[in-house]
Amino acid sequence: MPKRSILHMFDPMPNNSPFDINMALDAGFEVLMPYSNVKLESIHGLTQDAIFSRSPSGIKRTGIFIGGRDMGLAMDMMSAAEQAMVPPFEVSVLADPSGAFTTAAALVACVEKQLKEKHNKDLKGSKALVFGGTGPVGIATGVIASLAGAEVSLVDHMSIDAANDAAKEYNRRCQSNLLGAMAGSDEEKMAIIADVDIIFCTAKAGIQVLSAEVLAQAKQLKVAGDVNAVPPPGIAGIAATDASVALTSPAGAIGIGALAVGNIKYKVQNKLLEMCLSTEKPVYLDFREAFIEAQKIV
Amino acid sequence: MEKSFILHMLTTAKNLSPFDVNMALDAGWVSAVPYTNVEASEIKGLIQDVIFSRSSKALKRTGIFIGGRDTKQATDMLKTAKNSMFSPFEVSVFADPSGAFTTAAGMVATVEDELDTKFNTTFEGKTLLALGGTGPVGQAAAVLAAQAGANVRIIGRQLDKAQRIADLCNDEFGDGKINIQAGASADIADYIKTAEVVFATGAAGIELLSAAHIASAAKLKVAADINAVPPSGIVGLDAFDNGKEIAGSVSGAVGLGALAIGNIKYKTQSQLLKQMIDSEKPVYLHFEHAFEVARQIVKLTK
Repeated sequence: MPKRSILHMFDPMPNNSPFDINMALDAGFEVLMPYSNVKLESIHGLTQDAIFSRSPSGIKRTGIFIGGRDMGLAMDMMSAAEQAMVPPFEVSVLADPSGAFTTAAALVACVEKQLKEKHNKDLKGSKALVFGGTGPVGIATGVIASLAGAEVSLVDHMSIDAANDAAKEYNRRCQSNLLGAMAGSDEEKMAIIADVDIIFCTAKAGIQVLSAEVLAQAKQLKVAGDVNAVPPPGIAGIAATDASVALTSPAGAIGIGALAVGNIKYKVQNKLLEMCLSTEKPVYLDFREAFIEAQKIV
Repeated sequence: MEKSFILHMLTTAKNLSPFDVNMALDAGWVSAVPYTNVEASEIKGLIQDVIFSRSSKALKRTGIFIGGRDTKQATDMLKTAKNSMFSPFEVSVFADPSGAFTTAAGMVATVEDELDTKFNTTFEGKTLLALGGTGPVGQAAAVLAAQAGANVRIIGRQLDKAQRIADLCNDEFGDGKINIQAGASADIADYIKTAEVVFATGAAGIELLSAAHIASAAKLKVAADINAVPPSGIVGLDAFDNGKEIAGSVSGAVGLGALAIGNIKYKTQSQLLKQMIDSEKPVYLHFEHAFEVARQIVKLTK
């Protein structure tokens, strides 16, 4: 009897995300085992228990998924899992905390495509802001765009320290070049969006971050992407289903809505899960591979 | 490839009940995924993760089960779950905390059937005592019987707690349309004289009605006990009894034991779990739906 495929889902939160569960089963994993409240110190032991209980052929049908809400912790868990492998006892690992890596990868890839097609510009040399920039999707978006060459600021709506701390921490972890910024009031938002090419909106669902009036001040804006699917949209004028909508702006800006991004995100996550299942050699997948796949998909 | 059937099983308790897991897998769900120690504040986020990760077609093959130990919490979670979804991103949700909703439905439906077949009557206007009625099964059973027209009194060891539960049942579960009373177990000897129906839903191994109580229950028609662990909650009533006359009854009352009720409960829960799979439109199931199904099953199993 062929061994069934098993995905061990390690999560530091009290519960795994039902999103990841649905995705993993739909990608073809036959058995999912949720592990909740997992601590970083436990990853080594859990990983070794996963690899030493199956033959090398069975191991190919085994994977590890790392979830949670914290990008830094997920990256630490990923490297702890990698270090615990004892080849040939080795399994694939995919990290996607809060779905942030795949969401961010899809968002940046969608924006990059519109930037190229409608404005003949690259991420490299573009100036970008990430609203909701200190949350997991925001940080991952900033890191991916920064590594692709954009000049990115993470924007927090309450604290410049929070934004600077996040930028500094992830620059250290990921060798990116993020900056921090703060904008809470409409006046502050108008001031910082005046000269940017790209706006990413990864703020909390159901909150409008940029009104039409504020957005009108983005004189250089070329592309804006929003990941909030719950009305009202994060950026006025972008409906969730918009794949490419013209915004009222002097520079002919294009808007991308949450479901358009979500569609790509879904395909990216599905593809990464399938890679874990089909690969001959174990793979370690994080936001970098997510972005590569997202670029191919768009 | 057809998408597989996934049931996300949420509980406020430390663990899911293996009863519910077995039932769900046997009803046709392929994957039953546990979420434990769930707090009310987490429901919205969990639900949105469920609905945004599958196409609307695959969502028909996705469901949410709400367990736990507390009826009010489970009912609130069901409402929050429903309010967190919007068309076409919707899935069916079934709340059955502690199995209480389906157990209560099984009990009330079998009692109703005994009233009908043995006494040619209904719950309408009947004096009903819900003994040990402050627990989850007692609450749901009291509400269902009251909605069917019975004059229900929830009996507990402490009168003030029984009163709180009666108020909860009337306001929260009965939408203010029912009027369940409360009583203290110290006064059972009085209440039993006029009782026509008795539900016993106390903890296992505690005797709620003595032989003397039975002898003085001059109006009693049907008594039901959900306790499957001896001794029985009602003296003279056995777990296997299914409409058998209760020894010592002066009014020819019949008894329903835990296994007769459990049989209907089991089929009811299974059918509701299947309803979630089969339904074209999402369904939101709680004790009232369980009762409708239990009534049909009682009729069909004859």
